Amino acid sequence: MIKARRRPHEWIGEGAAATAALITFALTLAIFGFMGWLAMPLLQGETLTTLFTSVWRPDRGQFGILPMAWGTLAVALPATLLAFPLSLGFACFATHLAPRRLRKTLKGLAGLMTGIPTVVYGFSAVFLLVPLIREMAGRGSGFSIIAAVLVLALLISPTMILILISAFEAVPQPWQRCFDSMGATPEETVWHLLFPLATRSMVGALLLGLGRAIGDTLIALMLAGNAVLAPTDPFGPARTLTSHIGLVMAADVESLEFRSVFACGLLLYLLIFVLTLLVRYLTRRPAA
Amino acid sequence: MTQENKTTHDTIIQTQDLSLFYGDFQALHEISLSFAQREVTALIGPSGCGKSSFLRCLNRMNDLTAGTRSEGEVVFEGKNILGKKIDVVSLRRHIGMVFQKANPFPKSIYDNVAYGLVVNGLKNRSMVAARVEKSLKQAALWEEVKDRLNKPALGLSGGQQQRLCIARALAVEPEILLMDEPASALDPIATQKIEELILELKERYTIIIVTHNMQQASRVSDTTAFFYMGKLIEVGRTNALFTKPIKKETEDYITGRFG
Ligand SMILES: Nc1ncnc2c1ncn2[C@@H]1O[C@H](COP(=O)(O)OP(=O)(O)OP(=O)(O)O)[C@@H](O)[C@H]1O
Ligand SMILES: [Mg+2]
Repeated sequence: MIKARRRPHEWIGEGAAATAALITFALTLAIFGFMGWLAMPLLQGETLTTLFTSVWRPDRGQFGILPMAWGTLAVALPATLLAFPLSLGFACFATHLAPRRLRKTLKGLAGLMTGIPTVVYGFSAVFLLVPLIREMAGRGSGFSIIAAVLVLALLISPTMILILISAFEAVPQPWQRCFDSMGATPEETVWHLLFPLATRSMVGALLLGLGRAIGDTLIALMLAGNAVLAPTDPFGPARTLTSHIGLVMAADVESLEFRSVFACGLLLYLLIFVLTLLVRYLTRRPAA
Repeated sequence: MTQENKTTHDTIIQTQDLSLFYGDFQALHEISLSFAQREVTALIGPSGCGKSSFLRCLNRMNDLTAGTRSEGEVVFEGKNILGKKIDVVSLRRHIGMVFQKANPFPKSIYDNVAYGLVVNGLKNRSMVAARVEKSLKQAALWEEVKDRLNKPALGLSGGQQQRLCIARALAVEPEILLMDEPASALDPIATQKIEELILELKERYTIIIVTHNMQQASRVSDTTAFFYMGKLIEVGRTNALFTKPIKKETEDYITGRFG
């Protein structure tokens, strides 16, 4: 009998990988637990009932964070839905549809854009976009949901573009050559070959973009106006969960008001978690 | 150069002083060669002599490689297809191609053949089904796969996969079929099937095939062209070229003295 003898480097490697995975997992759980623990005073007793209401009046003991939850969705969802088709178009163009010479430049451009610090986007928008929106709307300050949505879309696009480009470039050349040889136009190749083969990565890009949009703090903080209101008017202000956390934490670190921040954290955590599960489920494919 | 290949058949495509450059490197030198309709022409020659490059000129696949440039003409249906105004996409629907390595899509057998049709705008389901069946029959694959059309194409044997790729190319209904060493990765039996298939397809299609296998060239082709170092050395009826070659290089090559 030949016995499988495991060499030292095998089990060392496996052990290291398993340990790393375990630590990551434990840390994630710990953060969750930590937030729950810190939010405890709020989650007990009367204040809990006020948590999922729309009234944020800490001075009167009302800690409704629903407006912020809606604010997050009102900013992140449209931003993602706007950025995704644009990114998809850009990625198709940069890999297949643009004249050959232009392609490299376009890819470089997307890479360059991921490197721009978020604050630069926010800062430029305060001076360029916000006044424009104020004029167009004819009311309000211009610090609005729409301003945050537009800039957030711009912010998350480069990441999505890069994921999509690498997904499209992973489609084997022989198949693309074969499409060419069958007299397929570049558009047909994109539609019939790339999209079906890259569906998973496309959903992945969408998820990652949405995750970034939900998690981003600075853009909403700088541009969305931050008023605690249920977001109904695109030209009006909103406060997201993340900017709420930022604003409250900047003010104090002791009160119940501060504790509500952890409830926001928990909510964000769950939101991303559910999102991830959902996409996992949607992209699950029967084994080929 | 012999004039023997001017037979009763009409010329369907021909090159005139065709030269091809990859950047500064000249891969083809002023090649003039004409191909008769519904005949099989074999392109032979040592590795790197430019057979594949030449083949790719005929349906402009070289366009897809950056830095290529060509001179001279390729005349198809009375037009120089190297011209700027030519619609390359529709050209390739007339001149199909089969690659050296079978490359079925990770789809069902049926979908693989249907792909070319859908891409070419045929939407009617029953028409697609009919054309898929016809193409599979033409590629001599129908009997082997008719009961498992919805099974993955990657489950077929190498030879079957290559015939599937031929069926896929035929589905577009080209007039000319370019084949670049279509059997070089196959075992003798699968190779024989491909050769039989080529002889059948000749009834309806013009076939230009690159091969390294002398026996294969003599078995399947009517005309053979010998390339050497990017030049066309000799072309003639296959029988004549293999039995009494005119040029010394040709003789050396076919008798295995080099290459
Ligand atoms: N994309 C390319 N860029 C630069 N040079 C190339 C390219 N493709 C081919 N060549 C060169 O052109 C010449 C002809 O190549 P080609 O592939 O046409 O030869 P071939 O006769 O098909 O060879 P084989 O029998 O090995 O397939 C070779 O010298 C090769 O190095
Ligand atoms: Mg070759």
